[in-house]
Amino acid sequence: MFEPDIGLDFRDEMIKRRFERIDQTILITSGKGGVGKSMVAATMAALMAKAGMSVGLLDADVYGPSSAFIFGVRSLPREDRHGLVPPVSNGVKVMSLDLFIAGRPLPMSGRGARQIIKEVLALTDWGTLDCLIVDTPPGTGDVLMTLIKTIGDRSGSIVVTLPTALSKSVVRRVIEILLATQIPLFGVLENMSYIANSKARPLGHGEGKSLALEFGLKFLGELPIDYKAAEAADAGDVQSLLQTDFARTLLILLKKSNLLTAKFKN
Amino acid sequence: MAEGIISYILDIVRKSGGHVVVFKVAVGEFSQFDKRLIEELLMELAKGTELERANIIVEIEKAMVNCLYCDSKWGFHELIEHLPDDQKEMIHFLPELLNSFSKCPTCGKSDLEIEKGRSVRVVEVELDV
Repeated sequence: MFEPDIGLDFRDEMIKRRFERIDQTILITSGKGGVGKSMVAATMAALMAKAGMSVGLLDADVYGPSSAFIFGVRSLPREDRHGLVPPVSNGVKVMSLDLFIAGRPLPMSGRGARQIIKEVLALTDWGTLDCLIVDTPPGTGDVLMTLIKTIGDRSGSIVVTLPTALSKSVVRRVIEILLATQIPLFGVLENMSYIANSKARPLGHGEGKSLALEFGLKFLGELPIDYKAAEAADAGDVQSLLQTDFARTLLILLKKSNLLTAKFKN
Repeated sequence: MAEGIISYILDIVRKSGGHVVVFKVAVGEFSQFDKRLIEELLMELAKGTELERANIIVEIEKAMVNCLYCDSKWGFHELIEHLPDDQKEMIHFLPELLNSFSKCPTCGKSDLEIEKGRSVRVVEVELDV
């Protein structure tokens, strides 16, 4: 007789089965807060859906979920015999804790964060997807480590940074963690590089590219500071978001790097 | 979930090369699963597998919550009995949401951590190798 270790969790099997039906998973990471990971993740998901792909967006930022807000989704996931079916907005299946707590605070220990992200991964019935975009929280804590442990072997990552030395110093740590896990890194994306329709670079210049070079990664390009994108996100208006310079630039960069439709293998 | 359990136990059987005589499953109170339903599901899924003859025991594990702020311990029902049904249902799916809807009755803080009773776990496997 033996008592199974608690780490031998049958939810792992459920997660494995769910992800067998997902062609590719892209973790939008940074390590630093406020770099615009959620905007990149949401816009990328919307662009993929517009391109005809079957897309899911998992908001794994358990402390500050925002994907549901950006997509203007308010409805609860639907329960069926296979799990929780995420609501669909603008062609994207959106799963976020905010759908449950609707703006309430959610204090949580690290252990709690590990558990809740695992529950969400096990229970969410995405069906068949071409791509699942995962918006990760800032930091290198429990949620990121749980994602790496549970779905890292079937994921790739885009790292988002700002054109500042401060951002570079923080994001560097996440890159080192990801490189140690064998997760394919598609490259470094620099956000808030310049003001849309202007040559002004209020935050600095070149740090994203230099970060990519430092690790031998691809520099995916620069995204603008775009007030119209911020307004569209505030309004939960994805169709307006897709018309902004931010979205148009992201589309060009993703196409250029063959990330919009390309499949990857770990 | 029952499929996940059977698949997990079958994996143990195949790795050990033996037969499972007994396996015990603890059904967390948080999950609100029906004990008899889980037993029936497991027996049905075990049919035609190496587990067909195993004695399947299902027990309810009481859900316990610890306040990380004042270290008091609470039963699940004490913390959710006052909540509306829709909030109880959300906690049923994602127990950590408890912190959004409830507080520690002793100190009033929302710093609750689930210690036990979260989900359905295999707690014991008896093998005849």
